[in-house]
Amino acid sequence: MLPILLLLISIFAGFLGALLGLGGGLIVVPALTLIFGVDIRYAIAASLISIIATSSGAAASFLKDNLTNLRLAVLLEVGTVAGAIVGFVISSQINTTALYFLFGGLLLFSAVMMLRQKNDARAEMDHPWSKKLKLSGNFIDHHTQLEVAYNVAQVPLGLAAMFFAGILSALLGIGSGIFKVLAMDRAMKLPMKVSSATSNFMIGVTASASAGAYLLRGDIRPEIAAPVSIGIIIGSFVGGKVMPKMPAEIIRKIFVVVLVIVSIQMIMKGFQNG
Amino acid sequence: MDELNKLEYKIGKFLRYGVAVSGLLILVGWLMSVKFAYTEAFYSFRVYDTFPLQKILALYLRNKNWGILISYLGLFCLISLPLIRVLLTGWLFFKQKDYLLSLIAFGVLGALVLSFGLGLKL
Repeated sequence: MLPILLLLISIFAGFLGALLGLGGGLIVVPALTLIFGVDIRYAIAASLISIIATSSGAAASFLKDNLTNLRLAVLLEVGTVAGAIVGFVISSQINTTALYFLFGGLLLFSAVMMLRQKNDARAEMDHPWSKKLKLSGNFIDHHTQLEVAYNVAQVPLGLAAMFFAGILSALLGIGSGIFKVLAMDRAMKLPMKVSSATSNFMIGVTASASAGAYLLRGDIRPEIAAPVSIGIIIGSFVGGKVMPKMPAEIIRKIFVVVLVIVSIQMIMKGFQNG
Repeated sequence: MDELNKLEYKIGKFLRYGVAVSGLLILVGWLMSVKFAYTEAFYSFRVYDTFPLQKILALYLRNKNWGILISYLGLFCLISLPLIRVLLTGWLFFKQKDYLLSLIAFGVLGALVLSFGLGLKL
């Protein structure tokens, strides 16, 4: 029965997402369009629901260990929410073929990002906005047990990057975690753990900025969104529990190959659609 | 954990319950309606068609499809959770006399509320 199959695939997507630190959107949207033949617009809308569920459900755990920079998250949400609103407006104008191409491109980009070396460059100076809003912070590094203090650089550039991440979130039904972490890591020079925790914390707000509009427009349908969101919640819960025991690096490498294959399929679907 | 994070952690725990309640509503609604010919529904989603929410709800209300309506309630609750989080965060900053950040948080909340309206217009 198709709904049960969708539930099982969503559980798998949530599990894999938790394991690899990726949002379910990257798996759910291609699965809905390529396996179930659902139009990408319904798939995107359903995906946003599952993203809100996982981000809101895990918000408390992101705040543990003082890794989430709450003040910075609130400021950057100005960028992501504004971007998500613009992204929703664009989605009303853009044609379906372009959505498939964009999504295919995103999957390829994600594959490349998963392979790159992660730097941990630090800001020497606090940006004036960071000083004004007291955005700099500190956390205890679990490995060294030492307190790590950090500054926040290039706040306006970070905001602009968040705006772009918000557009993609609304347009493609993703959390844009990859772009948020990239912006915080490269532009604002935050420690990777802080970037990751803060990004995950912000994802739910970014997604809800367009999810409400999609719901009222009638794009979020429980027939699809219900099994997807329930499956993702179950899968990410189980994935979170078993994560320390799984060989994440091997799974990551396999997933990179899968991402490339699926991105080609999404692009091809775009050509078929066009 | 510093004071602000401790208080926000409490908000986070509240959100966890919110997700559980919303998820339960969505699940119950889905189980109530999944016995209908769902396979058909998937085929109707192969081609995109705009159909405003109020028309969808009116149709399901007329057909007394309570399962789907309960699912919609769950979905609405879920989407509202980040808004509640931002509202409580803004209030938290206000209590801590951090008025600028409180204003920013309430600004984000205002934008989130307005964004819902876009779905009606577009």
